[in-house]
Amino acid sequence: MGRTFRIGGVHPPQHKDTAGRPIVRMALPRSVTLLVGQHIGAPAELIVAVGDAVVRGQLVAEAAGAVSAPVHTPISGKVTRIALVKNSAGMPAKAVVVEADEENHVADENGLQESPDDRDSAVTAEEIREIAGKCGVVGLGGATFPSRIKLSPPKDSAIDTIVINGAECEPYLTCDDALMREYSQEIVRGSEYMMRACGAERVLIGIEDNKPEAIAAMADACGSSGVQVAVLRTKYPQGGEKQLVQALTGRTIGSGCLPASVGVVVHNVATARALYRAVKFGEPVMERIITVAGDVARPGNYLVPVGTRISSVIDMAGGIREDEVKVILGGPMMGRVAENLDAPTVKGLSGIIVLSGAQARRHAPEPCIRCGECVNVCPMGLSPYLMSTLSRLGRTDDAAAHGIADCMECGCCSYVCPASRPILDFIRVGKQKLAADRKRKKK
Amino acid sequence: MSRKLVISLPPHFHAPGSVAGCMWRVTAALLPAFLCSVFFFGIGALAVTAISILACVGFEYAISRWLLGVTPRISDGSAALTGFLLALNLPSNLPPWIVIIGAFVAIGIGKMAFGGLGCNIFNPALVGRVFLLLSFPAQMTSWPVPGGDLMAYTDAATGATVLQLVKSGAVSFSDVDLWRQAVGNTAGSLGEVSALALLVGFAYLLFKRVISWHIPVSVCAAAAVLAWCVGANPLVELLSGGMLLGAIFMATDYVTSPMTRKGMVVYGAMIGIITIVIRLWGAYPEGMSFAILIMNGFTPLINRIFVPRRFSAGRRAAAL
Repeated sequence: MGRTFRIGGVHPPQHKDTAGRPIVRMALPRSVTLLVGQHIGAPAELIVAVGDAVVRGQLVAEAAGAVSAPVHTPISGKVTRIALVKNSAGMPAKAVVVEADEENHVADENGLQESPDDRDSAVTAEEIREIAGKCGVVGLGGATFPSRIKLSPPKDSAIDTIVINGAECEPYLTCDDALMREYSQEIVRGSEYMMRACGAERVLIGIEDNKPEAIAAMADACGSSGVQVAVLRTKYPQGGEKQLVQALTGRTIGSGCLPASVGVVVHNVATARALYRAVKFGEPVMERIITVAGDVARPGNYLVPVGTRISSVIDMAGGIREDEVKVILGGPMMGRVAENLDAPTVKGLSGIIVLSGAQARRHAPEPCIRCGECVNVCPMGLSPYLMSTLSRLGRTDDAAAHGIADCMECGCCSYVCPASRPILDFIRVGKQKLAADRKRKKK
Repeated sequence: MSRKLVISLPPHFHAPGSVAGCMWRVTAALLPAFLCSVFFFGIGALAVTAISILACVGFEYAISRWLLGVTPRISDGSAALTGFLLALNLPSNLPPWIVIIGAFVAIGIGKMAFGGLGCNIFNPALVGRVFLLLSFPAQMTSWPVPGGDLMAYTDAATGATVLQLVKSGAVSFSDVDLWRQAVGNTAGSLGEVSALALLVGFAYLLFKRVISWHIPVSVCAAAAVLAWCVGANPLVELLSGGMLLGAIFMATDYVTSPMTRKGMVVYGAMIGIITIVIRLWGAYPEGMSFAILIMNGFTPLINRIFVPRRFSAGRRAAAL
């Protein structure tokens, strides 16, 4: 019996059918569209112009300010366009388009087979941070927070533990599972760099017990370096930062506080591997593993260059077969739907899930029967039914008094509601209003 | 090909439960008690139940459709369940017109006047029952004795319930045949007579996770402890009257009971205590319906006091 967090949580059907399939490298596309804002913080600043020649791995936009991350191109070729494009949510976003010619394309494809230069791994904490910043390493679990900042602990907080998130509690997603099976060594080495950068004593890699192969592979890779695997009892939302830290260390993070307040920093397994590749080979983040699952012919885990069209990735997995589908970016519990399949993939995209038929549709809401299930499953110990109603009525301050800001939008409440009420939708509205109100007051 | 992309906010998964599912499972859990009552009281039990369910569903449909002008939601099974529960709280020889008045009060005043499903403060079936008890005290307290002519309806032979006999001093606690009380071979309203059948329903509800144990157990525990303290027989109190029917099926009504586990325990314990107080010192031999209705009124207050324990409880919060 593994460890888990203390209150709430649900057990949605797992649908991890793609588990155990080897990672398939997607052929390099002829053209990529690189958004300059694909991380939390300020969008990167372009340093190329239309007509410039670029090579694979070259910086095209650099970090702008303290919280920001650079963007690199995964293909060689020419910058053909710098414009506003529609992102996956259908909103305009600044992007640079790189197109390969025949020669560059062949050269890149051949280059993939070569092993990159091995660098000296005796790097200092400061060098690790610098490399993470330069190589555009961001939180690859989906949050895309620039890793350089999380690797720079403030002086007054002593970090003793690095938590590596391999929980992958969302249904369908198996990209982290695949990564842990195939690149366990790289994840462990990357987490050692994290430990060094933060001056921590140990690394805890949390993996849910529905991934026995990943647990075995990671345990093999650990050795005796202060890095250890911790088995977690499968329960959603185990991958939530506060839940994961509580499950692994027993420490409870206060309301509105960061894990650093209890001496912990949390990184995703894919981020750990990206950091390893960056430090060891100077390789920037320009591709990532994406789980393509659901109603497609060839579901699986694909290594996809950043900036590839979402529709191309789906086509590679067999394409969409139905006329009416829902395409989810991320997992089905927290992922947003795609409104535009021509949009490019970004660093934080962990899954593309195609749902069709009844699965794609929501149930019609019924009156709340006050059964209290949402209260029972809330992992933050809140009263979702109450916060939802208060924010629907515009009583944002009352909702705040009931802790609406603590809500992490895991969706357990909407998931269990027998009346299919849009509980989380209204909580989200309230949270946004609250944030806007607080911003206004500060001014 | 024109392809349609479905747009909605997460979560994109939904657990299989539904409101109708909850209602039908509770209805199913009541079937053993209902079958026992048909076995003991015959055609009268069938008639009262059928009239009550039909009247409740009919009134909900009519009020939604023609009075409120909203789409009737009778398919969610809540009106039928109210009718079923009301019937199980009535004597099996009650004339049809009184049953229909009860159904009207339950649905019309107890439920629809507050805004329909989910909005009512008091348990609708109990509102109907208590209205009938106060308006037709003679008919509502002449209980058919089991094992009489099974084809008799309003002309069935009647007798007193155990609680009435104890109250009047005709019987002492030690004379009560507990086995008869458990099986249901005793005078009383339809659903309350067989304790064993009600417990079967309770087990089913727990197994299906429709309700948790908190309310029924705390009702019974508080009632038993208080009864024991004042020298009454706890087992007689638990097995007679509407104690189990109320604790398992009426007090646990989602809409009118508290949201948190702690709140449920307080609410349940208070129901148990009030019931015993009414039974032993009040004017009525039975107090379950009153106790539940009284605590229904306190539910909003209980919800305010007993809020769930927050994840970060006891931890210092960051300044916002």
